[in-house]
Amino acid sequence: MNVSPIINFFINQGVPFTTVILILMLPIIATFIAFLRQVVGIKAFGIYAPLIVTFAFLATNGLKYGIAIFVTVIFTGMLMRFVLKPFRLLYLPRVAIMLTIVAFLILGILVIGGEFKRTGLAAVSIFPILIMITIVEKFIAVQIEKGDKAAIFLAIETLIISILGFFIASSKILIHFLALYPWVVILTIPINILLGKWTGLRVSEYFRFRKIMKHL
Amino acid sequence: MFEFLKLSRQILGMNSRNLEYIRPFNLARAKKIADNKLLSKKILKDNNLAVPQLLAKIRNYAELENFDWQTLPESFALKPNRGFGGEGILVVYGKKKNQTDVWIKADRSLVSIEDLKAHIRNILDGSFSLSGTPDIAFFEERLQLLKLFKPYCYKGIPDIRVIVFNKVPLMAMLRLPTKNSSGKANLQQGAIGVGIDMATGTTTTAVSGKNKFIEYAPDTRLLLSGIRIPYWNDILKLAVRAQELSGLGFLGADIAIDKIKGPTIIELNARPGLSIQIANLSGLKERLKKAAGIKIKTVEKGVRVGKDLFGGEIEEELEGISGRRVIGTVEKVKLIGKDGKEIEVEAKIDTGAGFSSIDTELAKQLGFENTVLEYENLNISYEQIKNLTPEQRKEIFKNIPDLADTAIIHSSHGTTYRPMVNINIIMDNIEFLAKVSIIDRSNLKMPIIIGKKNLGKFLIDVNK
Repeated sequence: MNVSPIINFFINQGVPFTTVILILMLPIIATFIAFLRQVVGIKAFGIYAPLIVTFAFLATNGLKYGIAIFVTVIFTGMLMRFVLKPFRLLYLPRVAIMLTIVAFLILGILVIGGEFKRTGLAAVSIFPILIMITIVEKFIAVQIEKGDKAAIFLAIETLIISILGFFIASSKILIHFLALYPWVVILTIPINILLGKWTGLRVSEYFRFRKIMKHL
Repeated sequence: MFEFLKLSRQILGMNSRNLEYIRPFNLARAKKIADNKLLSKKILKDNNLAVPQLLAKIRNYAELENFDWQTLPESFALKPNRGFGGEGILVVYGKKKNQTDVWIKADRSLVSIEDLKAHIRNILDGSFSLSGTPDIAFFEERLQLLKLFKPYCYKGIPDIRVIVFNKVPLMAMLRLPTKNSSGKANLQQGAIGVGIDMATGTTTTAVSGKNKFIEYAPDTRLLLSGIRIPYWNDILKLAVRAQELSGLGFLGADIAIDKIKGPTIIELNARPGLSIQIANLSGLKERLKKAAGIKIKTVEKGVRVGKDLFGGEIEEELEGISGRRVIGTVEKVKLIGKDGKEIEVEAKIDTGAGFSSIDTELAKQLGFENTVLEYENLNISYEQIKNLTPEQRKEIFKNIPDLADTAIIHSSHGTTYRPMVNINIIMDNIEFLAKVSIIDRSNLKMPIIIGKKNLGKFLIDVNK
């Protein structure tokens, strides 16, 4: 593969190629998420959650395991809210209990995966799993702030953005392109300045306010 | 397509709200006031603006343990100081009979001191505050619902959101708590938002939830449009004054009307939502631009400019010149019958009719049951009566109670002889006495028509 001299230099210094590419992908995915928020109007759980889930997907062996773990985490978070509601616990202990339950469930999934000879699941490294588990706190916070419906909606948005991000970051063409022209990444800064000054309606708002338009 | 883009520029979106209005006009210091309910309450109160009276506050666990619960009145509202979106508010309406430590909520469930303590601990731990940081809990007096709003609300109390910019009130919305919002006047939680005409304070279109337009209050036949909000001028003045005092350039003021105190500011909002545009079927951005360039010195001027620029203008002028009210062909009226019985219905305005007439059933509901029945018992047709003198006719009907008169009515269906009674009608806030004839209108759409005799004080706009 053709690589730019600077990347060559990194590799010679002992930084693995995949790591260099992943780090270069980070600003691109972040910009993509910012674009979706400001121009399209997809909210998700802020910028950090979809970004980190994207990278968790990249690090799990294949998308399906990543999605399976994500869905398990969100589903448990939802279920536990109803289970824990009558106990009227304070916030942090409540989250701690949820994390415990989620951890057990993930462990269970890994065991079941092993039973069915899905060794790919068990081979998933621990860090992406931990990342996904921490999403549960974000989920609960939104649940309290905006209600169950909104939380599930935002979780689905997060999942969709992360899947899109996964495809962008694992696109062969983009990887080759970045290897050749790593400086392109700097372009994300002016793009984000433009996004940060964007005052037009979001695509979702055209939909939200469509009835007003008919009346103006 | 270009037309579409041009129109969309009248609407305020999230990006524009944050970048062009909140950032430059709502400075950190002012936002701090809005996000701190106790502080904004104090500032407003010190300047003699009406706010719900503060009863007590609890700042930490020690204060909670030492709190004397007997100092609390029969009804109160318990709130988190930095709560948002109406979360964490607990309202009680009275104490349980013969018990000094149990209160009753709107849904009749009981609240003990233990329950209150648990709720306050949650508040102190920051479960309801914006960033989850520790918070203060406070008790304030419960505002009392105005009789006018009673039929439209499910528990809770409605409030009026007024957007103020550059001392000009731009747009307003009445927020009605519903079953879905569990008695909270918050659109995100399912309350109803009703747009308000800035000039007159009359409600226009109503939205339920995010984007569903509705005509009637849920589970009723009460029109949501055409409600005239009392103290309209005072409400706008209060909102503008609140903007001056808080320093929030772009403010959403929430004002409730208390039965005794009148308009009362319940909350200041530094980041008002955008749904108000849907309820008013109008764009905020256009109004913000219009209001931006004007120099406004006094509160009164600001209110006047807001009314003139953003209200339904022509109608008001016409009413001013002619001294008569402009009404449409269908109007909401309140009928006051015998013994003060009140019924609200929609009436057809019919300039082709001389007298007003109402449906037999409606007449019965208004307390004229005996009049109707005894008249029917006489069973007199037009043919029998047409050659009699008025005195002779009176003689026949003299024993019927509450009969005001009788009348020969020539209509497209032929000629009928009808009984008449006196009722009071309130239409567009004007009350008048009307002699109405009673006839079976059950197969017609409206149970009442208002005829020429009673339309002297009105002008009719067929497009309304």
